[in-house]
Amino acid sequence: MQPIDPNPFLIVGAVLFVCGVVCMTTKRNGIGVLMGVELVLNGANLNFITFSRCTPLGLDGQVFSLFVIVLAAAEAAVALAIALNFYNNHLTIDVDRGDELHG
Amino acid sequence: MDSLGNTLANLLTIAWLLPLFGFVVQILFAHKWGRKSKAAAYLAIFCIGTGFVCSATAFYKWDKQAGHLVFKEAKPAATEVAEPKNDSKAEVTEEAHPKKHSGRQTVFSGTFYQLAQFGDLQLSLDYYIDSLTLAMFVMVTLIATCIHIFATGYMSEELVEDYVDHQVHSHDGGHFHRPGRFYRFFSYLSLFCFAMLGLVIAGNIFQVFVFWELVGICSYLLIGFYVERHSASTAANKAFIVNRVGDFGFIIGLMILWTSFGTFNFADQHVSDGGVKPGLFSMVTRDHHGEFPKSADGKEVVLTTQQDGHGAWQVPPETSPRKTIAYTLLIVAGLGVFGGCVGKSAQFPLQTWLPDAMEGPTPVSALVHSATMVAAGVYLAGRFYPMFVPEVLLVIAYVGCITAFVAATIAIVATDIKKVLAYSTISQLGYMMLGLGVGGWGAGLFHLITHAFFKSLMFLCSGSVIAGCHHEQEMPKMGGLLRKMPITALTMLVGVIAIAGLAIPGIYLKFWSFVPYLSVYEDHGYVLSFSGYHSKDAILATALAYTKLNPLHFLLFLIPLLTAGITSFYMFRLWFYTFLGKPRDQHLHEHVHESPWVMTAPLLVLSFFAAFCALGGEHHGSLFGVLHHSEPVHVHHGFEAANSVSLPSHQAIEDSHASAGQAALLAAFVGMALSYLIYGKGVVNPDEIQRQASGVHAFLANKWGFDDLYDVMFVKPAHVVAKFAAAIDKFVFDEILHTFVRMGIAVSKWDRKFDEGVIDGIVNLMGNSTHSLGISLRNVQTGKIRQYVTFIAVSVVTLFVLLFALYPKG
Amino acid sequence: MNTTQLTLFWLFAALTCGGAIAVCVSQNVVRMAFSLVLTLGSTAVLFLLLGADFVGATQLLVYVGGTLVLIVFGVMLTATGPFTRIKSSAAGGILSGLIGIAFLFIVASTVTSVRWVDSDKGQGVASKIEFGTHSKAVASHFNPEQQGNTTRQLGLSFLSLRADRDLKFGIPPAPVEESNTAPVIPGESVAAAALPLNSNPKLSVGYLLPFEIVSVHLLVVLVGAAYLARTKRRTKS
Repeated sequence: MQPIDPNPFLIVGAVLFVCGVVCMTTKRNGIGVLMGVELVLNGANLNFITFSRCTPLGLDGQVFSLFVIVLAAAEAAVALAIALNFYNNHLTIDVDRGDELHG
Repeated sequence: MDSLGNTLANLLTIAWLLPLFGFVVQILFAHKWGRKSKAAAYLAIFCIGTGFVCSATAFYKWDKQAGHLVFKEAKPAATEVAEPKNDSKAEVTEEAHPKKHSGRQTVFSGTFYQLAQFGDLQLSLDYYIDSLTLAMFVMVTLIATCIHIFATGYMSEELVEDYVDHQVHSHDGGHFHRPGRFYRFFSYLSLFCFAMLGLVIAGNIFQVFVFWELVGICSYLLIGFYVERHSASTAANKAFIVNRVGDFGFIIGLMILWTSFGTFNFADQHVSDGGVKPGLFSMVTRDHHGEFPKSADGKEVVLTTQQDGHGAWQVPPETSPRKTIAYTLLIVAGLGVFGGCVGKSAQFPLQTWLPDAMEGPTPVSALVHSATMVAAGVYLAGRFYPMFVPEVLLVIAYVGCITAFVAATIAIVATDIKKVLAYSTISQLGYMMLGLGVGGWGAGLFHLITHAFFKSLMFLCSGSVIAGCHHEQEMPKMGGLLRKMPITALTMLVGVIAIAGLAIPGIYLKFWSFVPYLSVYEDHGYVLSFSGYHSKDAILATALAYTKLNPLHFLLFLIPLLTAGITSFYMFRLWFYTFLGKPRDQHLHEHVHESPWVMTAPLLVLSFFAAFCALGGEHHGSLFGVLHHSEPVHVHHGFEAANSVSLPSHQAIEDSHASAGQAALLAAFVGMALSYLIYGKGVVNPDEIQRQASGVHAFLANKWGFDDLYDVMFVKPAHVVAKFAAAIDKFVFDEILHTFVRMGIAVSKWDRKFDEGVIDGIVNLMGNSTHSLGISLRNVQTGKIRQYVTFIAVSVVTLFVLLFALYPKG
Repeated sequence: MNTTQLTLFWLFAALTCGGAIAVCVSQNVVRMAFSLVLTLGSTAVLFLLLGADFVGATQLLVYVGGTLVLIVFGVMLTATGPFTRIKSSAAGGILSGLIGIAFLFIVASTVTSVRWVDSDKGQGVASKIEFGTHSKAVASHFNPEQQGNTTRQLGLSFLSLRADRDLKFGIPPAPVEESNTAPVIPGESVAAAALPLNSNPKLSVGYLLPFEIVSVHLLVVLVGAAYLARTKRRTKS
């Protein structure tokens, strides 16, 4: 298995990451923000895997990406629970309405 | 003999401490009994009465065991074995031992409680009991008991919740209202009795001083009993301040004694190592000629600090270290202590406080200011007699002489019944001092006892008159009271005769001879007279003997003789004025009534003693004999000195007794006759005399101008100095202080501006800027998640841009 | 990479990026969810292309099968209508887009400015980065045949055994009595080599402890999520 050029993969990861960030900043829907977070995590995961393949790190990158996946699943579960509570309290999922902590 | 000493000490201690107990109980609990309760009075009477019983018992025991020696001088006193005995009780360590110089003097002394020890000097509560102490105890407790009972009646108008003082006017024209002070009066009296007895029993000069001041404060409290009356509070202050002058001398004397003698004790003391420490009286001994042992140059007196084999004190040999005191220092010490006596006994020139002290209630005048406290000065002079050198005695004699004459002349013109008695008291105290000063130790103290009885009697009589006349004290408004109040009048007459010294010579009263105890005097018989005759006679006889020895000082006999006549004159004037003649104030006269029995009964008791206490006179009377028992040894032989004043011996006094007695009797009769002619019979109108000798009258009525003189000499200068000092204070020190303060204020103002402007400004600026920063930053915190994410993204981009810009090839 | 792989890569890279952008751009939450499914699935293929077969499978299972279902549930539970839109302002969108482009530009320029491949040896520069004392050996013995067959190794690493390092290259010499035995399959050699683990301090670190922690973490999260999402009385807004 010959070495591969990591750049295209990294670029794709960067696109995923930036899209996640943009998604977080633009979406007023709480679920949309959650999706942005998932995109960001996936971008990071792609980087991990890429470096796992292209460097002597070996399995470390894959193991980390596994952890990230698991934690992302956990985060999604908790975030959804929070979103449901938010919805219960505000009768909407619009995150701009949850500004009780403004200064 | 030891057991006798212990018994005496115990009895007298009980008599001494009971009034203190009464005082404490009254102070603490009397207010709970209510202002209408007489319980405080009963308690006080019980305490002092029990004290009298104890004193009388002690006197009786002493008389039975030791007193008989005086009548049988041949009996050697060596049978009284001097052995110290240690009898320690819980609190009181008693050490009684009889001390003998010759066969006649018996002293029991010891220590109750040691207060402090400063090097060699120890301060302790001692007792010193001799016949003088016993006589004083009996006299004080007896008179005090009578006066307590009298006061129960006299002060009864204080037994109210709301007492109206008619002599104090409030601003709205009404009278002053206050709660009655019945129990307070009796608590003061009890405290006074305690202090007076403590003074008498005191075994060292420092203890005397302590109780001296304590009686002083009691006197202050009692004079100012009606404190709301301006005259009373002023009189109290005057008494206290004038006494301070004398006490200053007293303190000087104390310091000299401390420095030179190293002890305050009168009597010898047994120290712990078995030795004997000489007391004051032992250190100053005289030889048979009355001379002190002196150092080679004759200027210093060598103290006898060593005991020979027989217990007599003598000068240590040349080789061993000697304690000496300069003769002049001994004079100064004597004069200093006598200065205290002058103040306390109201002698010239400090006599002015006593007449003003009559502002106190009459029982107080009777007890404190005639019988006991003022006599304490005489008592101390007598007690301290061994320490007085002839020069000091001469001063004492002249002071007493001047006092007696001055006060007697003022008493002629006084119209206030109590003031007359007050001046009479001063005069008689002068007599006592004179008697001491001319070498009549026994005569002076004899007069002290007799005077205490008849003067307290007369004061109580005047109190009875005042109470009967509804607090009218001016004699010109009285008159003709004999029928209204016969008991008072007759008892007063007894006192007047006693003080005037009237007697019927040549009548021998065989009547008394059946009394077995007195049978030894049968061959001498008695002059029919009351007590005052004997004591005054004794003083005048001594004075005559003294002037025979020292012709230079002939005034010391003539003036007292003249004074005896004056005394007779003004005392009968008082009696005639008050009790005979026509009522001068009809309205007052109608309301006069005899006093109740609680007031008259003490009068009767006291009149008995005033009449008969000196029975037997100087020669063989039991009272004089008792006192004679304690006479200092050196007095007996007198003192012959070439370059100094001499003192008469007993034999010399005895020789001049007859002529002096006749002269005194003559003077007294002349005085009485004049008085009768002027005031009793009305042959000459006293007002006529007063007009003719208006200058003299004014001079006398002005009390010889002493008050004015002191006003000019001391009070005015003091005021001037005080004003000057006040002005300095006000215009210099206050100004300086004010300047400082103003500077301080200016600095403070500037500081305040600095604080407010700069410090506060900086702090406020910081606070405000932080606040405004917070307010502005608050807007950043929108609470919107999306914005936060945007910020993060922008920050990351910015950071990277900065990184690339700053490290292009990093 | 051969042509097939390249083709696959470009195809799924385009799908991935397109899905991501669609997620950003779309205003409909259900379409966003669908686009997300597309993105995550394509990412799984990219993982497979990178030789991470187990991770790719996990991505599909956990993300596409689990997380997305969860999200869709969330959409259903919170949307009052089936096609709820919450409009965001155009200005905010443009601003976010500009920031995103700037961000992407920076990241991309950073990535491309690094020379990942050494031109002289044709080997990754990154492989020269030293990882402990065995980096040289690791780098030199990097076995491409192992790629694409990671499940066993991952499992061992979760048991704290690094098959890709310690066992593979046999740093601890084999015991004498075992030297004559036939070559063992990796699993057996692992069992044999596991015995002297304690005697060799230079062994690489495994992942047993993180694995356990993550397990407990998952449990806690599930309990917490259930607690948070339980039915409550709605408070009056």
